Amino acid sequence: MKIIFKLTEVLLQRVKEDLRRPHPFAFERVGFISSRSGRIPPNGWVILGYDYHPVDDEDYVPCASVGALIGPGAMRKALQVAYNEPLSMVHVHSHDHRGTPAFSKVDLRESARFVPNVWNVRPNLPHAAIVLSEDSLCGFGWEPGSQRRIPIGDFTIVGVPLRIIRKNT
Amino acid sequence: MNKHQRQSFLGPNSESILRSLRIAIVGVGGGGSHVAQQLAHIGAGNILLLDHDRVEDTNLNRLVGATEEDVKRNALKVEIAKRLIRAIDSRTDVTGFDCLWQNAADVLHDCDVIFGCVDQFTERKQLEIAARRYLTPYIDIGMDVHEAAGRFIIAGQTYLSMPGQPCMSCLGLLPDEAIAREAAEYGAAGSRPQVIWPNGILASLAVGLMMQLVTPWFPGHNVTALLEYDGNSQTVTRSLKLDLLDEIRCPHFCSLQDLGDPFLWS
Repeated sequence: MKIIFKLTEVLLQRVKEDLRRPHPFAFERVGFISSRSGRIPPNGWVILGYDYHPVDDEDYVPCASVGALIGPGAMRKALQVAYNEPLSMVHVHSHDHRGTPAFSKVDLRESARFVPNVWNVRPNLPHAAIVLSEDSLCGFGWEPGSQRRIPIGDFTIVGVPLRIIRKNT
Repeated sequence: MNKHQRQSFLGPNSESILRSLRIAIVGVGGGGSHVAQQLAHIGAGNILLLDHDRVEDTNLNRLVGATEEDVKRNALKVEIAKRLIRAIDSRTDVTGFDCLWQNAADVLHDCDVIFGCVDQFTERKQLEIAARRYLTPYIDIGMDVHEAAGRFIIAGQTYLSMPGQPCMSCLGLLPDEAIAREAAEYGAAGSRPQVIWPNGILASLAVGLMMQLVTPWFPGHNVTALLEYDGNSQTVTRSLKLDLLDEIRCPHFCSLQDLGDPFLWS
């Protein structure tokens, strides 16, 4: 099972600019990338970033134990996007360092909470969660009907240069 | 001594980048065979070849790697290209699809770069659509010899189509009348004049554009490139059309419907 995530450099920069903005009380920001998807033979998926949806300031919940906790309003707005159009949703946040990022225990827990919610509105599409660093990214995808998270194998940032980050090589 | 040592100026990781690439060549005739040969030389790791055609006598004036023996046994063009690539670099993973590319289009979905080396405007349009759907850079080469006022003119272009940037329709590379003419002549295209050296020039430019994209050796490469070849004056120039379209967002591939698999959510 292979999952590829592609997005344009322009979209990635939009995401990064938003996630860099300080929040009145949250330590970091979170957003959603609405995406289209397609199959890759024999049984993989490619997720294609289309647009970015920042979480509004008022949709963060004060919480000292995590970098950012989003409330039901943020989730409802993300689900509304996927409800309006057949879209895969990608939960995104950023770690403030260079090199390959990794999911913390909290990241894994939050993304595991997010995906079943999106499946309520788009059960037949894959969804994902990614973490950015200053110069790399990593992530997991969930294919329809499976609770098992699958590491995203390839990331392609479509710009000049064309940046391809392969996790299995 | 490494066989790619003399291209090491492309960057410390260039060899592994090229080795990991998955590149499709659609059409391995006059233009595509040059591209296949060059990709093997530069060390591309995974090459997909798509062409349903078989070699004929009239192909031998330009099909790189083809022999008289191939003509006798009516060999598939993908077989010839595969043999050529493996003879240059046996480590290259080459897969051939000897069918209409449209019947194997799903193998393009995870390609990093697609080269389009097809004759028909309709096919070039379809290929660009297929590439843009999956945010894949598409490099198209086109060459023609035509007669005007009793003289022959050789002309062609190499074009890098990048998602979000002006497309072939924006640049006027897919004239409606040419597409309509092809539709009217469907199944009776005839044999158009073709020669090897313009194909070689255009294919070299195409490989150069890919190399700029994946292993840039100086900053400031253009995001989109349209290089026009005048085969009579033997010159290549950057098209002025790009300057006119600077800062203009492509209106042909901007909606959500243009991305991903359209059948997945129907």
